[in-house]
Amino acid sequence: MSNPALLSLHQLLKQSFRVVEQNHKVWKSVLLECSPLVSSLGNLGEQLRALKNVQVPQTPLGRFPDLQERLHYKLSIAVDTVMGKLGEKLDAFEAVRDAVSKQVSAAFQFYERNTGTLDIACCVNRSAVTPSLADMLEWLQDTDRYYRLQFLKRKNFLQTLKSDDLTLLETAPKRWESLSSPNAEEGISDMLFQVSFFMDSE
Amino acid sequence: MEGSSSARKGNLTGSARKLSDNAADWHNLTLKWERLNDEGSTVATKIVNLRLAKEPPKESDLMLEDGVSLDSGEKSRDNSSQELEEECYKLQDIVNKMDHIVSKMEKMVSSENGICELETFQYGVKGRPAPLFQTWSTPQFAEVSSKLCDSYKQELALKHTILQELAHTANADLSMVYLSAWLYQPYIDDKGKLLLESLLMETGHRPL
Repeated sequence: MSNPALLSLHQLLKQSFRVVEQNHKVWKSVLLECSPLVSSLGNLGEQLRALKNVQVPQTPLGRFPDLQERLHYKLSIAVDTVMGKLGEKLDAFEAVRDAVSKQVSAAFQFYERNTGTLDIACCVNRSAVTPSLADMLEWLQDTDRYYRLQFLKRKNFLQTLKSDDLTLLETAPKRWESLSSPNAEEGISDMLFQVSFFMDSE
Repeated sequence: MEGSSSARKGNLTGSARKLSDNAADWHNLTLKWERLNDEGSTVATKIVNLRLAKEPPKESDLMLEDGVSLDSGEKSRDNSSQELEEECYKLQDIVNKMDHIVSKMEKMVSSENGICELETFQYGVKGRPAPLFQTWSTPQFAEVSSKLCDSYKQELALKHTILQELAHTANADLSMVYLSAWLYQPYIDDKGKLLLESLLMETGHRPL
C-alpha cells in the first residue's frame, strides 16, 4: 500500500469529503432559511388574489382614495423584497455547488492522470476502514450531481416567479417543497457516515 | 446620535429648539406607530381567524341528536364569541393609542404653523434672513409636518374603518384585504419616509 498516487488520492478524497460535510451543513441551513421566505411569497400571493377578487369601491373601504392601487403597490413591493432575499439565498446555493464541484473534479482529474498506477485491483480494494476508490469516487460524483441539479431546480423556480402571476405565487410553497429530493439528500448523509472512519484515519 | 443631538439641543433656543424637538418627536411617534401597527396586525389576524372559524354552518352540530353535545357546541361557540370580543377590545385599544399619536402630530403641525406666523410677524413676509438649521426655511418644516400628518390621519381613518368592519365580515377575501391594508399601510408611503429622514438630517439628528 505504499503507492504514492494512492496516498495522494486518499488525501484528496478526505479533503473532498470534508468540503462536502461543511457545505452540506451550509446547504441545509440556507434551505431552512428559505422556507419562511417562500411561505411569505405564498401568503402575499393570497393577499394579492384577495385584493383582486374584492370590488373595493363596493365595500366599506370604498371611500378611501386609490386604496386598491396603493395596496397593490405595497404588496408588489413586498413580493419584490422577498424575491430579492431569495435571490441572495440562491447565491449561497451556488457557492455550495461550486465548492463541491471544484473538489470533486480535482479528485477526478487526479485519478484520471494516474490511471497507470491505479489499476482495477487497486480501485476496488477496500478495508474495514477505507471504502474502495471506485465507491468513493462514485459517491462524490453523485453528490456533485445532486447539488448541480438542486441548484438548477431552485434557480429555475425563482426565475419563473413573477409578482403578477398570482397562481405561481400562491403555489410557491408547495412547488418549492416538491423540489427537494429527500432520498438523494439522505444519500449524502449516508455517504458521510460511511467515510467517517476513513476521514479520521491517518 | 443621542450624544450629538443633546449637545446641539443645549445650544438651541426658541423656534430652532422647538423645531428640533418636534423632529425628534416625529421620529419617536412614527416608531411607536409602527410598533402599534405590528401589535394590531397580530390581533387583527386573530380576529379574522376567530370570525371565519365561526362562519361555516355547523353541520356537525346540527347532526348531533343528543342535547349534551349540542350544549358543548354552544358553549365552545360562546367561548369563541367571548374571545372574539376580547380581541376586538384589544384592537380598539390599539386604535385609541394611534388616535393619541395622531393628535400629538396635529399639535406639532399647529405649533409649527404658529412658529411660521411668529416669523412673519418678526421678519415680515420674506421670513427670517438665515435658515435656522442647514438650508430649510421655516415654512418648509411646517409643510413637511403637515404632509406627514395628513398621511397618518388618512391611515388612521382606514384603521378605524377596519376596526369597525373586521369582525363583521364573513367574506374571506374582504377579510384578507382588511388584514393586508392594516399591515401594509397604503397611505404611509416611501415619500413620507424620505421626508422624515430629510427632516432628521436637516435638524442634525442624523449625521450629514
